Amino acid sequence: MSVTRRTLLSQAAVIALATQFRIDPAAAQEKVIRFAMPQDFTKIYTFVTAEYSQGQKDYIALVNARGGINGYRILAEVSDQGNDLPRAIEQYERAKSQGAILVDPLGTPAARALTPRALADKINLITAYSGRSDAADGTVFPYIFPLSPNYWTQIALLIDYFRTQSGGDLKGKKICFVHIDTPFGKEPLPILKRLQEKLGFELSTFPYTPPGNDQSAIWPQVRRARPDWVVFWGAGVGQTVALTEAIRNGLPLSKVSSSVWLSESDMDVVGRQQAAGVLKVEPCASGREPRLIQQILKEVVEPGKGSGAAEKVGTAYYNYGVMITSIMVEGVRQAFAKAPNGPISGEWLNAGLSSITNFEAEGLIPPTTVTPQDHQGGGKARIARWDGTKFVPATDWFTAYQDVVWDEIRTTAAEFQKSGK
Amino acid sequence: MFYRRAGILHTRYQDERQLWPFAFDRGLVATVLAILLVAPFAFDRIYLVTYLLPWIIWSSAALGLNLLMGGAGQVHLGYGAVMGIGAYASVHLLRAGIPLELALLAGGLASAAIGSLFGAAALRVKGLYLAMATLAMQYIVDFIISHFSIISGGSQATLQVPPVRFLGVSLASDAAAYYFALLICVGIVLFMLNVRRTSFGRALAAVREKDYAAAVIGVDSFRFKLVAFFVSSFVGGMVGCVMAVSYYRAVSPDQFHLDLSIQLVAMVIVGGLGSVLGSFFGAALILFAPIVLNHAVAFGADTFGVGISADLRAHLPLMLYGAMIVGFLLWEPLGLAKIYNNARNYFMVWPLRHNR
Amino acid sequence: MEFALILELSVNGIFIGLMYALVAAGLVLIYKTSGIANLAQGALAMMGAYVVWAISAQLGAPMWLAIPLGLIVMFGAGLLTERLALRRMIGQPVIMVIMLTIGIEIMLRGVLPGIFGAAVKKLDVGIPNDPLFIGDILINRATMIGGLISLALVALSIAFFNSRLGLMMRAVSDDQMASWSVGIRVDRAVAIAWGLSATMATTAGILWGSTQGVDWSLSLLLIKALAIAILGGLDSIPGVLLAGVLIGLAESLATGLLDPLVGGGTRDVVASVIILLTLLLRPHGLFGREHIERV
Repeated sequence: MSVTRRTLLSQAAVIALATQFRIDPAAAQEKVIRFAMPQDFTKIYTFVTAEYSQGQKDYIALVNARGGINGYRILAEVSDQGNDLPRAIEQYERAKSQGAILVDPLGTPAARALTPRALADKINLITAYSGRSDAADGTVFPYIFPLSPNYWTQIALLIDYFRTQSGGDLKGKKICFVHIDTPFGKEPLPILKRLQEKLGFELSTFPYTPPGNDQSAIWPQVRRARPDWVVFWGAGVGQTVALTEAIRNGLPLSKVSSSVWLSESDMDVVGRQQAAGVLKVEPCASGREPRLIQQILKEVVEPGKGSGAAEKVGTAYYNYGVMITSIMVEGVRQAFAKAPNGPISGEWLNAGLSSITNFEAEGLIPPTTVTPQDHQGGGKARIARWDGTKFVPATDWFTAYQDVVWDEIRTTAAEFQKSGK
Repeated sequence: MFYRRAGILHTRYQDERQLWPFAFDRGLVATVLAILLVAPFAFDRIYLVTYLLPWIIWSSAALGLNLLMGGAGQVHLGYGAVMGIGAYASVHLLRAGIPLELALLAGGLASAAIGSLFGAAALRVKGLYLAMATLAMQYIVDFIISHFSIISGGSQATLQVPPVRFLGVSLASDAAAYYFALLICVGIVLFMLNVRRTSFGRALAAVREKDYAAAVIGVDSFRFKLVAFFVSSFVGGMVGCVMAVSYYRAVSPDQFHLDLSIQLVAMVIVGGLGSVLGSFFGAALILFAPIVLNHAVAFGADTFGVGISADLRAHLPLMLYGAMIVGFLLWEPLGLAKIYNNARNYFMVWPLRHNR
Repeated sequence: MEFALILELSVNGIFIGLMYALVAAGLVLIYKTSGIANLAQGALAMMGAYVVWAISAQLGAPMWLAIPLGLIVMFGAGLLTERLALRRMIGQPVIMVIMLTIGIEIMLRGVLPGIFGAAVKKLDVGIPNDPLFIGDILINRATMIGGLISLALVALSIAFFNSRLGLMMRAVSDDQMASWSVGIRVDRAVAIAWGLSATMATTAGILWGSTQGVDWSLSLLLIKALAIAILGGLDSIPGVLLAGVLIGLAESLATGLLDPLVGGGTRDVVASVIILLTLLLRPHGLFGREHIERV
């Protein structure tokens, strides 16, 4: 192999640099619990990551400002993995060697790549709004925690909402499902098919090519299908373009809905007033009214310790970040309740995370119960409507068709279990 | 100094024909190989798993592409898809219970077959047009992989690699997986070092310099281009299999997207076209510059507490990474291997300035 | 499949194709004069959109002022890129120069979101979104206006090639050495091509940005533009126009007719197959000049 001095030098440089950024000993002495957030700040998840991460950091700042948990500070290492798998794996391994007991990659490719490693290493992998939907099955995925209604639950919630709005019966109604043509976009299809058999609605699906900046050929077909309800399923650019095209085609927005991926900044791009009426799935309250957000404003943002622009506090994705982090921290609390003296490890936190009962984060989130079997947290959320300035809840917290969803979860989880051996 | 030329007197032809005529080079290669061999015991696990292993795998892939781009002068923007074909073919075979030794070769053959099929169509054109034709291949293969759930593996589109053994050794441990990748890499390196000394390699060089001129002197340029596609795709398929088996341990379509193809082309070009050494430099730069820059920027921001916005902090590594590619190419358009060679040539006659 | 839908898809497809053609025209302009493919064209479109957004939203200029200012700034940026980076690569292998443009692309994708923020920005150029029906056919206002502007600009650049400056650039594209010997300043012609190409990219960036919002994903326009440029022939601007319309139409109809049969988004695949077939049948695109090589 013709490897030479330069390689040696560069390798030495890499190693020297790398050792530079290992644990700084001061932090290691302290009582800390390490989380790692290798997230995608620069590639396809840019639409959410900045706000989500701001919410996470601000919430952790709040917890630490109040003295931490049992005297332990939470130390969250945030880094950019750029949706590049070798980078995500590097950051995961680094986090592991530094003693992190929880990793939140916020990105489906990264979550999928890290799943086998996390299962083997017994590190808790948070895959909120990303990763495998079947990870809700805690018996097969003991260390993977979606902690949020997965996409199967989200579509079931929307269908149930359509049913109640149509007078309790969807028979003969037409539902159009417009989705990005990736595994993520196709995920709701099996549930839609099952519910179609059950409820007897008509279903037409329209895949669009990623990233979805041009959907002008899709929406005329949707319009011509004269749907009773429309669901669009994508992320980032695809969402705003879908909504704009729906408006241009004159579809009544009160019948148009999407998953959790709609936020105030999408509405800014589409035009706040024009977008009025569109529906989304809301896994937690948005806006600044919830008590937890008020506390963050008072104790973190006002003293100038906020991690980003103050006007972003209370946006939908900011609150998602607070939501998921509050559940993680509740897991830590439960873990201390179970084993106050540790030792702090992935297993220790796992026991805490899977014994969260009816946690509401002071009204920010629906009552969430995580058990060793159910890592989804109960699958509760609500439907919210954009009124031109903010998202207004259209329903109370509810859940729907969990039997169908769990059937699908168990089937695919069993497939996973079989294939790994 | 180091690369002492004085006093090296070849008395036999085979001395002069050997791969590394200078003693220092031989020593260097032996040292590096020794370091790579003891790496699993000498280095922390994190450096083995997240630096050395991907470096070796990506370098092998870059070498395969380099045979085509540097050896035969044909651009390929769909090499990620070629690797994907190999990875999927071999993982499906592994899941069907075929031993890894055979699955590895079968993965290579599958890539080679499909790759040269596209090659046969694409080779009617050259240069940028060829680049586009291979890009079309990338899109078509991507589409097929992700739209046939029998290939991509169900609604979650992830295929787990079952526990495998290579030559009787289980690859479950990190060290075993590393040695497996290293073995394949060494094989590819030896092939690449020697291929240019064969008639095949010389024919490729003729085609690369001017295919019409090659045809005039009796080298069937289309045939050799096609063979180059075949061999390079075979290597790509094998590396795809190695990547799946010893690094990702699960395959999903997003591992083999256009991003990977562009990354590999960048490795080959920044490293140096046609250079074996360059592929290693290029892979190291393209793979690790973003990682190291990220840590450096984070470290800098934390230590000096500069009040830069989160957006700027997140994107600074990307800027520097782009600037590094631009900078290296402006400094030395022939790539990192050429920069190394310049330094080597300088030291060869040091302290004098010229050797002729 | 009813006729009206096909008609509607065709009309929209043509306009969309024209909007892509604008990005492709910038590529062709640079290829014609200096013989390299500028893979940073998409990033220039993104940069243009960011610059216009910054002038209007951060400096508070009205849109009618922001757009011309942005175009001027981007013309300068194009000149600067050529002067600082590309000119130093003259005489180097083409593949290196192309790699250099990839490097510039990566850099720009870091610089602009880094400075102005990665969150999606709204760029309101005042095209209303209300549906516009002609009979049963819906005309997408934004794509129609975008398509017409693109058409006008591409037509303008065809006309430009018949002006004195354009003639000079044609001479440069024919043979740089010969142009030099008859007193044409080749470097200036190349620089102007870069400037013009950057302004074209900016226009495309504004048009697309007003629909999808401004963020890094605008740089993905490159891939489609490259396909169109190849299909039309890398050195033919009328070719770009025709190829844009063709690809736009084929993609739009494929989405309408093929997707339901295949059950997947066939848009990109159809475009890829068209390119592959064109290269098989007409290796230099529809209008490209066959390059005669000397042995």
